[in-house]
Amino acid sequence: MRVRFLTLITAIVAATYLGSGAAQAQSFYAGKTLRIIVGLSPGGGFDTYARTIGRHLGKHIPGNPTVIVDNMPGAGSIIMTNHMYKVAKPDGLTMGHFNGALILGQVLGQAGIEFDARKFEYVGAAVSESVVCSLSKASGVTSIDQWKAAKTPVKMGGVAPGATPDNSARILHAALGLPVQVVSGYKGTSRIRLAVESGELAGACWSWQSMRVTWRKAIDSGDVKPIVQIVPKPFPDISKVPLAIDLATTEEAKQLIRYGVQNASAYARPFILPPGTPMDRVAVLRTAFQATLKDPDFLAEAKKARLIIDPVTGEEMEKIVADVFTMSPALQAKLKEALYTK
Amino acid sequence: MPIAEIAGAFASGFSDVFAPNTLGLMLVGIALGFAVGILPGLGGPTTLALMLPFIFTMQPVEAFAFLLGMAAVTATTGDITSILFGVPGEPTTASTIVDGHPMAKKGEAGRALGAALASSLVGAIFGAFALALAIPIVRPLVLTFGSPELFMLAVLGMTFVASLSGENLLKGLIAGGIGLLFATVGLDPMTATQRYTFDQLFLWDGIGLVPITIGFFAIPEIIDLAVQRSAIARASVEKLGGVMQGVKDTFRHFWLVVRCSALGAYVGIIPGMGGGVSQWLAYAHAVQSSPRQERFGKGAVEGVLGPGAANNSTLGGNLIPTIAFGVPGGVMTAILLGAFTIQGLVPGPSMLTPESQGGHLSLTFSFVWMIVISNLVTVAVCFVFLRQLAKVTMIRGSLLIPPILLLIYVGAFAEKNAFPDLLLVLLFGVLGWLMEKFHWPRPPLILGVVLGPLAENRLFLATDNYGLAWLGRPGVLILIALTLAGAFYPMLKRAMQRRENRSAGSQRAATKIKRPAFDRGMLFTLAIVVVVGAALWQSRNFGFRPGLFPWAVGIPLFVLAVAQLFVEVTRGVERPPKSPAEHGEEIPDSIVARRTAVMFGWIFGYLVAIWLLGFTIGGVLCTFLSLKVGSREPWPISLALTAAMGAFVYGVFELALHVPFPPGALFDWVGLTPS
Repeated sequence: MRVRFLTLITAIVAATYLGSGAAQAQSFYAGKTLRIIVGLSPGGGFDTYARTIGRHLGKHIPGNPTVIVDNMPGAGSIIMTNHMYKVAKPDGLTMGHFNGALILGQVLGQAGIEFDARKFEYVGAAVSESVVCSLSKASGVTSIDQWKAAKTPVKMGGVAPGATPDNSARILHAALGLPVQVVSGYKGTSRIRLAVESGELAGACWSWQSMRVTWRKAIDSGDVKPIVQIVPKPFPDISKVPLAIDLATTEEAKQLIRYGVQNASAYARPFILPPGTPMDRVAVLRTAFQATLKDPDFLAEAKKARLIIDPVTGEEMEKIVADVFTMSPALQAKLKEALYTK
Repeated sequence: MPIAEIAGAFASGFSDVFAPNTLGLMLVGIALGFAVGILPGLGGPTTLALMLPFIFTMQPVEAFAFLLGMAAVTATTGDITSILFGVPGEPTTASTIVDGHPMAKKGEAGRALGAALASSLVGAIFGAFALALAIPIVRPLVLTFGSPELFMLAVLGMTFVASLSGENLLKGLIAGGIGLLFATVGLDPMTATQRYTFDQLFLWDGIGLVPITIGFFAIPEIIDLAVQRSAIARASVEKLGGVMQGVKDTFRHFWLVVRCSALGAYVGIIPGMGGGVSQWLAYAHAVQSSPRQERFGKGAVEGVLGPGAANNSTLGGNLIPTIAFGVPGGVMTAILLGAFTIQGLVPGPSMLTPESQGGHLSLTFSFVWMIVISNLVTVAVCFVFLRQLAKVTMIRGSLLIPPILLLIYVGAFAEKNAFPDLLLVLLFGVLGWLMEKFHWPRPPLILGVVLGPLAENRLFLATDNYGLAWLGRPGVLILIALTLAGAFYPMLKRAMQRRENRSAGSQRAATKIKRPAFDRGMLFTLAIVVVVGAALWQSRNFGFRPGLFPWAVGIPLFVLAVAQLFVEVTRGVERPPKSPAEHGEEIPDSIVARRTAVMFGWIFGYLVAIWLLGFTIGGVLCTFLSLKVGSREPWPISLALTAAMGAFVYGVFELALHVPFPPGALFDWVGLTPS
């Protein structure tokens, strides 16, 4: 007992000494409250990730601040992201979690966006969102060749213009010439699943990380089959399913697939800080964020909740986001036409 | 699946609930749900979401006992606030106000509460067993509902406007149309085109049901309370002990309660329709099936029984598609779906497979028992305190108004943490007050708001998927027949009643007063015509798809509104006679006008103070001022009540729930915001 106590004392003293470099940030976060604001409703996917991370983040930040998670839902997280840009104080105590699809939206001139995604400080992401398109056996399309040969447009479920299922299906049409009719307006992928099972839709595209969990039974039984994956490297569990990028024949088609779907996967679910947050605090939070994603307690909870953890660092994210803004005007115009024109 | 195995799972589901830990957590959940239900604005869904992180360390049965215990009782205790204060405790209990609150005013609060609780219990048990019975047949039950059928169900729901219109069908249709038009505010569901958003981002997702129902029902009640300067109960309160009578009412109208429970459960099964819809359909059904419809809106007990049962049975119905497909039926089950994932459970066939084959059937059946037991506990607890609760209606209004007003604003904010929602409360408060004053039925408007988005969304999905061929689907044909029957039956009945009345020689009580020049009611009708006209004018640029629904609603609405104006100008304004029992002593018009203006001043003042000084400081300051200066309450009472409210708002919302109240704008301007 005494030995353990001594060890503890030594550890604390040592930690204090070694940590003196980060002393400033440590004294800053001690006794403070870090607030994570989620731009979407409580109970959804974004919220679940943020709340699970929020439970463990505090212990990895020197000074162990209290971490609380709030929601500021509205306009597909535009309200919260605008708030982060214009109102939130850049003091390292407010972190935002929003739908990264808005970054592409900014480049393509989506209405309502009042932020510049290049100015945010990126903390990182817990998961990337890699898209796979699956169709029901009942639709009669069980391979990419059958899809190409389909006489009538294949009905694919959509949520709203700019959402992953819509963008992915539209890009397949624009880049690969697949016959596609996007039926948009379903309230979330769960409603789309139901419509596919009842025969109303042929299929839909969204992140494989979520699809393979929520649609497990139908995929295992063969009632629903992955037909094409819009990712740079195939998923090991469906390695035989063709990649969209390999089916593209022109450079323009490849670019549409890259910028329209593939690259967006890395910045799909970002955690950000307001522009102008002091760099030492950004660094502390980036380190703590990645440490949280490796924390065994956190991973156990994530596993239980079937949250897939596939970390993206803040530095990587910054690069990919900057890259979105380098698109040529011609490609931007093409992408806009593919994603938003009827 | 052998019957014995199902029965075994059903029984073990029951015994699982009684494990000490599970039962303990369920009681904690019930206590939370109890409080949340009573507090206006702070709704079940938000609280469920806030509690989700706590279930990581629990076993599945414990987690669901905790969450379902909470979810199951909010609709029950929400009824209490609706009846006593005329403020919806939950968005799903707004319809209980329409007849429940007039009962409280008549001194029958005890009876209304007894009826609400007893019918809630019946509804909850019905819904729970509907869940149990539906489990074997759930897949075909849900999969037969494609988009076309869902659209037709929304249309069928809209025919209930006729029953909700009271004396004046034309006004009811216009109110319903206005509700449908309000439902188009925001991004349209197909092309994300902005409609009536006035460049305000907070309107992109449409107008939330919480600010609408709170403003629409609570603000007029508060003004009425201020004008009358009395307690909520205007009549003698000897009938306080009427609790048992309310219970007896439940059994006297048992078939109504059962039918409304069935309606609630059925509506719950349909994804996208929840308690927000089912309560109004149940209320309309209660009106429709009553031989004496003129009593409704003035304190008819059937108007409490119907929604009381339906909003409780909806949860059981909602759980059916959630468990079987992972498709949540309502907002609350959408968050419960999060609990499934946290617990590592995948909704779908495995939830319906016995444990011996690796499924979770006993867990699913334990949900049934959780709903039943948590409602039994709640209703039992309520009955113990019911007399005390009903006595609230005897407290003088001047003591109730300041805290209620603060709660209304806090509740409206806390749903989405959005300040602009407070403005919506004010806007809908004024609208609700005007509609009440000029005898426009309010329920059809709410029905339009809740059914509009579903109708538009599913109409486009049906047409995009099937062209016009969807009109020929058998389910659609059946629903069209039902809709026609639903639309014409009340009219037929009304015509027959009128003939009977005429033959009996008794004229309708309503008297028509010929006004020589004009009436202020006409001004309101004129305002409706102008606003609808302006909305149509704005919609000219929407484009075909986003514009179709606003046009389809707006054009007939405009015609109806003009017709109403024409009727009023040429034939005078129809006025139901004032019932002296409800309004107590007649108060001169000039005093009514002055008191109303003063109350509006306070309502507006609260908003400004909260905006400038923040919720804690501004809200507390207003509470104190309106108690001390406004109502001239003695110092000790003013100070004590203010302190209690301040501690409550700060403790519950700021400390416990971490609601991110914005600091006052004033502090922002002078740069004093605390870091």
